Amino acid sequence: MSDLLEAFRLVMATDVLVAIAASAVYGLVVGSLPGLSATMATALLVPVTFWLSPIAAVATIITASAMAIFSGDIPGALLRIPGTPASAAYTDEAYALTRKGQAELALGAGLWFSAIGGIVGTLSLMLLAPLLAEMALNFSTYEYFWLALLGLMCATLVARSSPVKAIASMLLGLLLACIGMENPAGTPRFTFGVAELLGGIEPIPALVGVFAVSEVMRAMASAEPPKLPRRRFGSILASQWTLTKTYQWPMWRGNFVGIIIGVLPGAGADMAAWVSYAMSKRFSKEPEKFGTGHPEGLVEAGASNNASLASGWVPSLLFGIPGDTITAIAIGVLYMKGLNPGPTLFTERAPAMYALYIIFILANLLMIPLGIVMIRLASRILRAPRAAVMPVILLLCAVGAFATTNSLFAVLMVGAFGCLGFLMERNGFPVAALVLGIVMGSMVEQSFVTSLIKSDGDVMPFFERPVSGVLAALTFGALLWPVLALPWNRRAKPARLKEETP
Amino acid sequence: MTTRRLILSATPVLLAAPALAQPRWPVRPVTMLCPWAAGGGTDAVLRIVASQLERELGQPFNVVNRTGGSGVVGHAAISGAAPDGYTLGIITVEIAMLHWQGLTELSFRNFTPLGLMNNDPPGIQVGRDSPHGDARALEAAIKASRPGQLKASGTGQGGIWHLALAGWLGAIGLRGDHVRWVPSNGAAPAMQDLAAGGLDITTNSVPEARAIIEAGRARSLAVMAPARIAAFPNIPTLREATGVDFSTGAWRGIAGPANLPREVVAAMSAALKRIYDGAEYTQFLASRGFGGSWADPDGFATHLAAADRQMGEAMRAAGLVRG
Amino acid sequence: MQLSDRASGLLLAALGAAAAWGGSRLPPVPGQDVGPAAFPMLIGFGLVGCGALIALGIGRGFEAPAADEPAPPGSGWRVLLPPALLLFYVLAAERLGFLPTAFLMVLAAARALGASWRLALPLALLAPPVVHLAFAKLLRVPLPEGLLAAPW
Repeated sequence: MSDLLEAFRLVMATDVLVAIAASAVYGLVVGSLPGLSATMATALLVPVTFWLSPIAAVATIITASAMAIFSGDIPGALLRIPGTPASAAYTDEAYALTRKGQAELALGAGLWFSAIGGIVGTLSLMLLAPLLAEMALNFSTYEYFWLALLGLMCATLVARSSPVKAIASMLLGLLLACIGMENPAGTPRFTFGVAELLGGIEPIPALVGVFAVSEVMRAMASAEPPKLPRRRFGSILASQWTLTKTYQWPMWRGNFVGIIIGVLPGAGADMAAWVSYAMSKRFSKEPEKFGTGHPEGLVEAGASNNASLASGWVPSLLFGIPGDTITAIAIGVLYMKGLNPGPTLFTERAPAMYALYIIFILANLLMIPLGIVMIRLASRILRAPRAAVMPVILLLCAVGAFATTNSLFAVLMVGAFGCLGFLMERNGFPVAALVLGIVMGSMVEQSFVTSLIKSDGDVMPFFERPVSGVLAALTFGALLWPVLALPWNRRAKPARLKEETP
Repeated sequence: MTTRRLILSATPVLLAAPALAQPRWPVRPVTMLCPWAAGGGTDAVLRIVASQLERELGQPFNVVNRTGGSGVVGHAAISGAAPDGYTLGIITVEIAMLHWQGLTELSFRNFTPLGLMNNDPPGIQVGRDSPHGDARALEAAIKASRPGQLKASGTGQGGIWHLALAGWLGAIGLRGDHVRWVPSNGAAPAMQDLAAGGLDITTNSVPEARAIIEAGRARSLAVMAPARIAAFPNIPTLREATGVDFSTGAWRGIAGPANLPREVVAAMSAALKRIYDGAEYTQFLASRGFGGSWADPDGFATHLAAADRQMGEAMRAAGLVRG
Repeated sequence: MQLSDRASGLLLAALGAAAAWGGSRLPPVPGQDVGPAAFPMLIGFGLVGCGALIALGIGRGFEAPAADEPAPPGSGWRVLLPPALLLFYVLAAERLGFLPTAFLMVLAAARALGASWRLALPLALLAPPVVHLAFAKLLRVPLPEGLLAAPW
């Protein structure tokens, strides 16, 4: 009990409160800028944390990352440019709602369910950390292989276009992920002698290119779309309670899946959002509405990615093993501040641990009022002339890409991915699947190759281990789904087929 | 066109000329390049050194993470900077490895060494339930195993900890691939798999294994270093544990492009020495569990040449040298 | 640029074949049964398969009918302007500095999107300093100074 009081005293210090408030605003703004991601927002904070007290330093990381993951939904919903790879899964859905004049519903759902996901994730961190850590430690490379494949399969489940084209996009992403020497063999592949390519293709420049730059390119080619009808921007939270009641079950499923995927090191919020969105569509009573501006998927995936963000701290705090790119940076900050991860953090430094929990809860509560302000400010962009918005986005793309590695090569990559994304969109290839392929590519290969090395070339452990077996069955189910659905779908839409083939 | 480009490119030189004429260095902020990402170990070392340099030399030392290309890009940026002392950086053991793999032309000869700051020796870790109680028992078990039966990890294929394993196996008279290397994305996933029972040994550094060891999921049997690490006094050296004299390590040092002015080298060397001896740096090393290792510019140069040779031999033995 | 499914399918198949061929030439690694060649080849063959299916028009029934509005005349070259401006940024930023480069970038993009000079000029004058202030000053991103250093 005295530990808890001590924790409150630690959090209520002036410098910590100022750090939380400032990093909340910072996270919201950076996350909402197209071309910058939550990981970038966190990385850029590292030099700042150097000058802060330990609790304040960790508070900035926690607060900024939670805010940035939520506000990555804002440009996705308003401009169809996702701020983070985690938002890419449901960007089209949110944008469709905006075009229907329901931007506040889309953004409000992002905000409300992000906060709920964050709080549920934090509760899991507080109450179940040892249990979840045990589970994460029992996940070996065999399980990771199926998990990664399952993640990839989501690309075909989510896609609104032809599943063949979705798979082709995903394969293209996997091929791009082969570039560089960060593969199990340590052999440079497809680098063509360019030193910058040795480290591989980063997901962030790819994401920025295929979504943001290609959007600017599309703007160049098309006439300005008709302005949305001028009307008062409705209440942001009013309809969320109805959504919470209607989609209670998907919401809890999203929280649960997010927590599980979050504690598995290496998977993280990106994958949680994809899997949850795909599950939502698969199990929905009205899957045909998905992609046309239907909030159900937003509820589940929005809760999921923020829940995974919090539970991703479990392996980081207990074992120093990062759950995702954000916690990888956070671990560095923890070490720098003498809060070394490990079980001693929970016993000897218990007040500091409780302080982290309090900061998590505080950040997620703070997200709601600040998020509302942010949404109101950001939605003015819908009224701004396109000729003023797009050039600034282009500039942000250049600067944001540059900041990922501090070299101009990333800016070139963004330009190249812009052209690729534009071409793909025009020809009906979903670009989100490409990003997913790039994000998941190395995990698939790494887990497959290392598993075979460990088993001396035997493939049976992929199926024999209990968890592995279940994941294998799920994967094959997802793999065969489009094939099984093909004839059924043909029958369902004979009229449209006739229209298309003259 | 040519004239205009000439004028454009000449302008910064003209602007910089008065600065060069100044006898003292530094008179303006210095950029410190880090070839690895923010939040990592190398980044932490450079940031603490840079903040101390700022105090010692009275000018801002700004850390810039120039990442990408498995460290090649950042190292190339340091060696390719103008040798005026206003762009320096931290170089790591990879500079002694990458050129042997034919991944870059760069080697230690493209740098002016300024000071070796830290050296993390590899440890030998086993899982909690491993039957091997100490390094001698493990060595006997390795010798008794058939080639490829035991599995080890710690980093990617051809990484520093892979070479540490190969070097150790060579020192006990076995082939470098007698224990099979399972490549991993860094030390953290390798430690996770060790704890999960998927691996027999990891040879990453002890601070990278610290959290898992403290959680009681793994044990460190020895460090491949000439002396015990200050932060882990209970872990014997390989020589104490088994009598085998083999040591290596992942080191980090401050360096600049080749042909730095003598005054820069003198000022930096003196400042780095004071920082290394200072309380803040010592405390930093202790809290992270990092190993300290100091060498002045001449000593660092000797160290670089020796490390380059050792890595070349180890990589040839492991079949990793190309071209 | 809209390609027919036949063209885009064949393009993908060709890319897949090239990837498989390039992958097959990678040397094996001692101690690994599955070398660096396996994945590029697998992906390459997958792409060849998908490319063939797309060229044959299989899976077309899933696609929503194309809702492309006709592009206004003369838009062809303008589509390539954003990547061209990024290329310009890469080539010019070190030399000119961030502020002048960004000014030209924003101005060109705004004009191409049909902004009047009264909108484009103030935008191009205001946006770069704000971005510079946020990134270079607050976040310490080393944006190049070039000819025109920022006053802060």
